[in-house]
Amino acid sequence: MLAALAAEVGDFVRPPIDWHAAAPELTLLAFGVLLTLMDIVWLERGRKWAPALASIGLLATMVPIITLAVDGADRSMFGGAFVVDKYALIMKAVFILAGYIVVLISSNYISEGDYWENEYYGLLLSSILGMILMASARDLITIFIALELLSIPAYMLATWRKRDLKSNEAGLKYYLMGVFASAILLYGMSLLYGASGTTLLVDLNESISASDSPSAIVVMGIIFVIVGFAFKVSAVPFHTWAPDTYEGAPTPVTAFLSVASKAAGFVALMNMLFVGFIGRDDVYEPMIFALAAVSMTVGNLIALRQTNIVRMLAYSGVAQAGYMLAPLAVASDVPDSALAATVSYLVIYAVMNLGAFAVVIAVARKTRSAEIDDYRGLFHYAPGLTVAMTIFLFALAGIPPLGGWWAKFRIMGAVIEANTVSGVVLGVFVAVNSVIALYYYARIGAKMWADEAPDGDLTPVRVPASLKSALVLTVAATIVFGVLPGLVGDVTKVSLLAGVGG
Amino acid sequence: MSEEIVFIISAVIVLVGALGVVLSRNPVHSALFLIQTLMGVALLFLIEDAHFLAAVQVVVYAGAIVILFLFVIMLLGVDKAEELGIDPIGGQRELALVVGASIAALTIVTVGWSVDGATGSAPASAENALDNGLTDIERIGRVLFTDYAFGFEITAALLTIAVIGAVVLTRSIRREDVLADLEPASLELPSLAPAGANDEDTPHDGDSGNSGAEVSSEGNRES
Amino acid sequence: MELTTTWYLVLSASMFSIGATGLLVRRNPLVMFMCVELMLNAVNISFVAFGSDLNDVGGQIAVFFVLVVAAVEVVVGLALVVAITRRRADATADDLSVLRG
Repeated sequence: MLAALAAEVGDFVRPPIDWHAAAPELTLLAFGVLLTLMDIVWLERGRKWAPALASIGLLATMVPIITLAVDGADRSMFGGAFVVDKYALIMKAVFILAGYIVVLISSNYISEGDYWENEYYGLLLSSILGMILMASARDLITIFIALELLSIPAYMLATWRKRDLKSNEAGLKYYLMGVFASAILLYGMSLLYGASGTTLLVDLNESISASDSPSAIVVMGIIFVIVGFAFKVSAVPFHTWAPDTYEGAPTPVTAFLSVASKAAGFVALMNMLFVGFIGRDDVYEPMIFALAAVSMTVGNLIALRQTNIVRMLAYSGVAQAGYMLAPLAVASDVPDSALAATVSYLVIYAVMNLGAFAVVIAVARKTRSAEIDDYRGLFHYAPGLTVAMTIFLFALAGIPPLGGWWAKFRIMGAVIEANTVSGVVLGVFVAVNSVIALYYYARIGAKMWADEAPDGDLTPVRVPASLKSALVLTVAATIVFGVLPGLVGDVTKVSLLAGVGG
Repeated sequence: MSEEIVFIISAVIVLVGALGVVLSRNPVHSALFLIQTLMGVALLFLIEDAHFLAAVQVVVYAGAIVILFLFVIMLLGVDKAEELGIDPIGGQRELALVVGASIAALTIVTVGWSVDGATGSAPASAENALDNGLTDIERIGRVLFTDYAFGFEITAALLTIAVIGAVVLTRSIRREDVLADLEPASLELPSLAPAGANDEDTPHDGDSGNSGAEVSSEGNRES
Repeated sequence: MELTTTWYLVLSASMFSIGATGLLVRRNPLVMFMCVELMLNAVNISFVAFGSDLNDVGGQIAVFFVLVVAAVEVVVGLALVVAITRRRADATADDLSVLRG
């Protein structure tokens, strides 16, 4: 019987698989499986080892990424659906290292709180697996699957604080808006598929840029796709889930959402934009221009009024998303510059934001709150944390010589280089908004340094080892990126257009 | 002519079911209308010669997903399920209707008035063409395991992690914890760190006095 | 009248907008999930219609993956609803939703 079956499928050819190219995903998958097995075998006795295994897994995944980078060749599988090039490798490294820092800042938080620990790290690793897959995805279906793989664990992680009603509802809200957005995204993808006959992004671009493509379907498809991704990167007006979800989720999860999830959304958007519909700038440019301008302004203006630091960071994240969208609005004129600008901003933003959240977690260990007023006089009892927070706040505001100024400089450079009216207008928006943002960042700094501690309570903040190392890493990176901007610049000189011939 | 008739019948089934899902008071009625819609969609797949998908649609969607819905509705109690008291997305109903109507207008007008059908390029290989003589299942199988094999394997990871997470989220809380927990749900921001996190030299290993650990280990012994 | 792809697309668009409106209007999370299922089924119809028009199996493959993801989303969503409702049952304070906007 087997022989008969074998005879029937005799001409089935296995697809060629480049194991080296898939090595990062496979390594992370293996460690995720190992973590789950450890959970099954040792049950709760293995709790201590979960964060260690997770961080070893993430660092081990860096090894194939580095070997692929050293190797230098672009690789693609499945007819171009899965591509490993310099851009993909950089984004994979960003996701892995950001994930590593999240593991560092969450190890004490999760083990001391009333949380399920092994599964937390399992979900975290799965989400990161989805993100590194997303960096390589150049095909509509693969992008969608990667998006779901990174979002589903994030929805569940956002409700990890099980015993708190408000945070559960915030998680449910995040979930509902997320699936709504992914349904809209899918509808857009179906229209693009119909207009072009293919799911590969490269062929999609060729098809829809041709003059005889059905215009209305393509336009609507692109609009729906961008709307779907705009939710993920919390651009206005699709940002309403962000403040409540950030506040309700456990703070390490918030750090993860605000950095890694947002970066993954941008990666997906950039993949689709630069490879999939770069030829149709008449459609996406006005839309992204509007999203960028409104996000920057609304995010900063609402952040001014926040009294809770997590919500303030949420709205500032909305504004940062606006800054990152700005180069994409002029992408067709200066594609390589725009891509490099957004990628370098993502890298630097990841470091700054993770650091800020690490300080929030550290301070909350003593004050047990996230109100900005409770940061008053931080300098008197936690000078190290104050210095770190000041560095992160000013870096987010874009003040030299810290990392953020170089990122903003690249953004401004890209939009001005485009030499169009919309580019210049966006440049003005970025400049004005940076000034507005400086006010609310500096206000926290002033409170920390100048005010008196509430109730005169001067007991120092005990920062556990893993949190301390996360803080050291992020502070160091922020300073290095600011002082040696060429480091980021050289590494992020990437181009997605090599495959498109543009 | 017969194809058009079958299409019209399926379309009526689908649209009536969709309206029923949205307009029903009772969630059980919504679930039953959803089954009606899914059956209508399966009919449409059959007209389009997607036989395998029609079968999978009935088995997976109507046979598993809606059953899951009904399970949860019954678990929570039908009367409880009607008024869950959760209002996830705030906002006015009028605004929602306006947005919905504009989506409707936008999509229907666009697809209805655009160039008839699609003008995409020919399929990449004869393997993918729908009229190459293979059976439906064989064609889908071949393409799935060659071009989309990676995505296929990743969905396995997705399914596993969803199940793990869902189980963790719905793990029941111990009776003692429930009794001890009967203070009104606090409306303030929950504390970001447990009490004593900042105290000097408290032992911080993973299995000392953590209620999380105790709950889960008790749960493991029970289950 | 000839049965063209446009008929399928109009049906898919109608179903998509019914689902979207339902999601925005209804307050009960369970019904909202069902509206998401409606939207995903509309997408499925659209994919299959385009696939058959283009004589390409890619549409059917896409539907395959959408089906799996829809199942996953339902599992997660229902788990969230159960977790919340269970928590609410234990809480003695019976308040309306605290979150606005």
